[in-house]
Amino acid sequence: MTQIAKPIKRRKIKGDSGAGYAFIAVALVIFALFTAYPVLSALIISFQKYMPLGSKFIGFDNYIDSLKDPLFWKAIKNTVVYTVLTVPVALFISLGVSLLILPLKKKLQTVFKAIYYLPAVASGVALSVVWLWIFDPMPNGIFNQLLGYFGINNVNWLGATSTSMFSLVLMSWLSSHGTSIIIYLAALLGIDDSYYEAAELDGASFLKKLWYIVIPCLKPTTLFLLVTGVIGSFQVFQNAYLMTGGGPDNATTMVGLLIFNNAFKYFEFGKAAAQSLILALIIGGISLIQFKFLGKDVEY
Amino acid sequence: MKRKMRVLASICALTLALTALTACGSSSTTKEGTPESTNNTNNNNTNVSTEAAKDTITALLPPVSPAYQENFSQMEKDFNALYPNLTLKIEPASWEDMTQKLDTQVNAGSPPDIAFLGSSGISKYVEQGMALDITDAATAEMIADFDQAPLEYMKNGTGLYGFPAYMEVHALGGNKEFLEKAGIDYKKIQKEGWTFEQFREDIKKGVVSEGGKTSRYGFVFATAGVASKDYLAILVKSAGMPAAFNKDLKFAYTSKNYLEVLKDIRVMIDDGSMPKELSSVDAGKRWNMFLTGQTMITGKGLAVFENSANKNNEKIKANDGSAVKGSIPAEYIVLPVPSFAGQKAMASAVVDGYVAFRGKKEPTPEHKANVVKAAYFLASGKVAATTNNDLFAAHITKSGKKEAESMTVNRNPDNVAAVEAMLATASPARPDIPTDLGAKAIKLEDEVIIPKLQALIAGEITPEAMYDAVKAAAIQAFGEDGVVKD
Repeated sequence: MTQIAKPIKRRKIKGDSGAGYAFIAVALVIFALFTAYPVLSALIISFQKYMPLGSKFIGFDNYIDSLKDPLFWKAIKNTVVYTVLTVPVALFISLGVSLLILPLKKKLQTVFKAIYYLPAVASGVALSVVWLWIFDPMPNGIFNQLLGYFGINNVNWLGATSTSMFSLVLMSWLSSHGTSIIIYLAALLGIDDSYYEAAELDGASFLKKLWYIVIPCLKPTTLFLLVTGVIGSFQVFQNAYLMTGGGPDNATTMVGLLIFNNAFKYFEFGKAAAQSLILALIIGGISLIQFKFLGKDVEY
Repeated sequence: MKRKMRVLASICALTLALTALTACGSSSTTKEGTPESTNNTNNNNTNVSTEAAKDTITALLPPVSPAYQENFSQMEKDFNALYPNLTLKIEPASWEDMTQKLDTQVNAGSPPDIAFLGSSGISKYVEQGMALDITDAATAEMIADFDQAPLEYMKNGTGLYGFPAYMEVHALGGNKEFLEKAGIDYKKIQKEGWTFEQFREDIKKGVVSEGGKTSRYGFVFATAGVASKDYLAILVKSAGMPAAFNKDLKFAYTSKNYLEVLKDIRVMIDDGSMPKELSSVDAGKRWNMFLTGQTMITGKGLAVFENSANKNNEKIKANDGSAVKGSIPAEYIVLPVPSFAGQKAMASAVVDGYVAFRGKKEPTPEHKANVVKAAYFLASGKVAATTNNDLFAAHITKSGKKEAESMTVNRNPDNVAAVEAMLATASPARPDIPTDLGAKAIKLEDEVIIPKLQALIAGEITPEAMYDAVKAAAIQAFGEDGVVKD
């Protein structure tokens, strides 16, 4: 039996498709190099005892060690507490400020947007230095002077386990809302005026309009900010690193800081990679839950 | 025209993608020096020549002394004049960046040939196999130039991993005027030392309070962040625990003397001699408190602080606006750490130096010899003399001492004598501690001891609770038989 060889079909790149592939290639190459490759490397390293002169395969030891480590669970707990205390309040503050800016003239809106966005432009290290000054534990520290006016003794803000986490949370509450405010403002400006006009005809109060028009219309934006806020909060590192170093008594050790310490302080890159992948799984799980329960009736 | 534009756009996009790829490519630099040095080494193998092969030695150096980094280009020139075939390439780094920069380079497998770091940091690089044992490349003349005690600190096991730059003691520093006002015979203490009980009573005398507000404390030690590690480590040395492991390699901080030190740490705060906010006082703050007269004694104290205090005094005298805000003239007096629990006082020695590194590829013997020449050049002679004088640190090489003879230093002779007396009783080097034990001890210190100490200082746990936590963690790390029981 002789087989008749089928002619090979040569796919031709027609028209604009060549340029399209080239443009996609740029994004794909960058994604592959700077996202996919590091993630894959981290996965491989997580099964190794990493050494610059030759790593050793150790199976799931890094994962088992991490899951058995009480400090890892304490860091997870701290991160969850920080997230729960910061993200919802941040959303509330951002929405509140956006609602206050909304009725202003466009130029004034821009001025306020710029003011609120300014901390995002400033260096995190510089901001931390300012906050360290604000949290000075001595009676002449800024916050302590304020307390002094009410006859309250000075507080060791960052040096006591009872106040250190709250201090970081307070720092988060009072800064870095610029991006969320801009996004909320854009979404608020996108709500059709006819909704408000109709509500006004029905005699709706400000709160009624907020509840029945603004909040439902902002649901996709809120979901986006919530998901990205939770992801960002779970990866928080800089504040704890610069302000408390994770102390006192590991009260502010976040997972991000623990991973950093394992990698760059103790050179346990395998353990750090394993912990970062566990963290990625946790973040992925929480994001899925958020989409499942909050994204049901969200239309984009 | 439309087609041309499409082709052009495609080329641009692919070029961008290729640029990204190229940027991530390896430059194939090996740790035998720079690519230039590798080529030269190869050339040397093939071309028979009487001239020594050219080589480049890289060094990552922080601002070891105030004027150190200003001299880099002169140091490079002097080295090249001494060895015309060799080039010393110095990369400056700030103290803040130093560890991270070095660690990143080490883990990427391409560290500098030489880096300046504390001898206590050598073990982790030895554990990784990245520190370069220079025992066979250091000549007898080089070794003979160094004092034995600091040189021992640069050893780990049987290997020598660099040359020491200086040996300092972590002491305390007092304000002369306040010490005299409190009736403290500091000259006697400088010579004979003091017990904790005496120290406790003396620092109480230094406290100045008015209307329930303390304007001056008797003693302030930096304990925020990494400084808390120094605080306890310095104190326990004078409580019969010169290192984390005793001579039988058993973890020492489970000794009952450790608990005594913890109790003493707490009692100084409860007495009101130290601020209750001590856990938030960092190195910068406590030095500010010293210069502004908010404390009589500070720690840790290094000899160079006398220089800093003198400079600030001159600025105050000259009405210079760059003097520390609110500072007062303060004459810095070096004081020893008190002894605890009836033990003999032992000064905490700190030896920093020039550590040699290797890359992924084994360096050639020629390159190794050149690295040793560069490390020795930096650690001895004129460079060492200038740097140590700038630091008010003792000279630890014969060549450095000789060079320093012609240099003048304005130091309080009592302080010089006090530092020398402390150096004579300083804790010895422990190259016998295996790297894995050392690494475990460092992790235990970072994850249990320091966090618990912060809580103890903040008044949130008792000394007994901290002691129990450290003991439990030590038994878990080293086993029941791996810890001291007394």
